[in-house]
Amino acid sequence: MLKVFLGDLKDEIYNPPIYFDNQYEDEWITDALSRQMILDIDKSDVISSHIIESPYLGAITPKELSGGVKTLILMANDESGSIFNATACGDNCAKWILEIANRKDLIITLHHGMRFGEGPFEIMILNTGRVVHNRQEWLDVVYDYV
Amino acid sequence: MKGLYEVNIQNKRIRYQFTIKRNITIIRGDSATGKTKLLEMIEAFSREGRSSGVELKCDVPCVVLHGGDWKQRLDYIHNSLVFIDECNSFIRQEAFASEVKYSDNYFILVTRDDLPNLSYSVEEIYGIRLSKQYAGLKQTYNELYHLYGEYENVFVEQPKKLLVEDSNSGYDFFRKLIVKGISCDTARGKSNIYRILLQNKSDEKCAVVADGAAFGSEMERIIQLIESGRAIALYLPESFEWMILKSDILDDKETRDILSHPEDYIESEKYSSWEQYFTKLLISKTVGTYLKYQKDFINKNYLQEKIARQIIDVFPDRMQKLFVPEKNVESLSD
Repeated sequence: MLKVFLGDLKDEIYNPPIYFDNQYEDEWITDALSRQMILDIDKSDVISSHIIESPYLGAITPKELSGGVKTLILMANDESGSIFNATACGDNCAKWILEIANRKDLIITLHHGMRFGEGPFEIMILNTGRVVHNRQEWLDVVYDYV
Repeated sequence: MKGLYEVNIQNKRIRYQFTIKRNITIIRGDSATGKTKLLEMIEAFSREGRSSGVELKCDVPCVVLHGGDWKQRLDYIHNSLVFIDECNSFIRQEAFASEVKYSDNYFILVTRDDLPNLSYSVEEIYGIRLSKQYAGLKQTYNELYHLYGEYENVFVEQPKKLLVEDSNSGYDFFRKLIVKGISCDTARGKSNIYRILLQNKSDEKCAVVADGAAFGSEMERIIQLIESGRAIALYLPESFEWMILKSDILDDKETRDILSHPEDYIESEKYSSWEQYFTKLLISKTVGTYLKYQKDFINKNYLQEKIARQIIDVFPDRMQKLFVPEKNVESLSD
C-alpha cells in the first residue's frame, strides 16, 4: 500500500538523486522493474549495471539518469528504511510509484499535488490516517498540506 | 534588473534556447525532460567557461545556486540570471523569499513546489520539450513552453457565478456591471480561490478573475480541479489596474509603449511583481484627473458606459458578455 506524508517530515530524504548517487548498488540497475522504469521514463536501455544507452545523451552511467527514475529505483530497492521525497518525480512517475506500492508497503513524502490519475487507487494520507481512492478524494485533502 | 534576456546554450548533443523577462521564472513538468541537464550545462560553463565544451550566449552572467551557503553566495551575485535546481529545500524558506523580493537578479527555479510565499506570474511557468525546429542529426533542440497555456481563457457557457480574487476596486467594478442572474463574489485573496471552488457543487459553472501577475503559486491546484471535470473558466489579466491601462481610456502614448514591453520598465529591485508597477503607474497617470484611481473602491467615473465598455472589452469576447456596461450608473453606485 502507498502511504504518503504531505509536507515536511523530519529525516525524509529531501534530495533523493544525490542520495542515489552515493548509495545505489549495481544490481538495482539491472533489476527487471528498474529496466522497465528507465525505458519508460528516460527512454533509455540498460546495457549493463554501468552503461545505459540514452537516445539524447548517448552512453551514460546510472548517475546521469533522471532525478525521477533515480528516486523510483530507490523506492523499489533501498532497504535502509529511508523515506524519499517523491516531489523529485514528475507526474509521469506516478504510475510507477503505485506499481512499487503494489509490490510492497511504500512510504513517501510529497510537497506538491502529484497527479495519480483518475483512480481507483489506495493511498493512505499519513497526516490524517484517511485512505483516498480516486482523484476527487485526493484533491479534497492534498492541498490542505502542500 | 530589468529587460529581456535570451539564453542560448549548447553542447555537442543538446541545445536549449529560451527567453527570461521577469524576476521569477518556474520550470517544472515530467521527469527526464532535461531540466537538470540544462542546469548542469550552465554550471559547467560558469565554472570552466569555454573550456567546459559548453557554449553559452547571454547578455548577463548565468549562475547556478545551491547548497547550504546559498545566502552568502547570493550576496556576491548581481545583475545575473540565477538558476536553482529542484530538491534545494532552501527555496521554500521565508529567508529565500525575502532575498528574491526586490533582488537585482532574475531567478529561474526548477521546482514542483507551489512556493506560495513568492509572487510569480502564470505566464512564467514553463515546461521543457523537444522543439520541432531542426537542430542537427546528432543534436536535440529543447525549448521552453507555457505549461498552462491551454487553460487560459477557456470559456464555460452560462456560468452561475463570477469569483473575483480582488476585494477592493476590481471587485467593486465587476459586481456593479455583472449581468442579472450571475452572482459576483470576492474570494478575498488568491489563496482562498481553490478552497471556494472545491466547495462549490461539482456541476456549478464558475468564472474566475484573478491577477495573473502573481497567481502562479495557485495555478497547479486550480488546473487540477479543471482537469477533474469542474466547469471553471479562468481569466487571468496581469491585474485589474493593467486592464484599465490596457483599455486605453487614458489615451496616453507612454502607457501604450510601456504595455507593449513592460519588462524594459519594471525594475526587479523596486517591484517584486508586475502588478505593483501597474498599480503605481495607473495612480500616477490619473492623479488630479476625473479618473483618479484608488485601490479601495472604484471611482464612479469608471462606471460610465463608454469607459466601462472599454475596460470590459479587454476581456476575451465571450467573457465580455458577462457584463452590462449600459446599466444605469446612478442605480448601481450603492
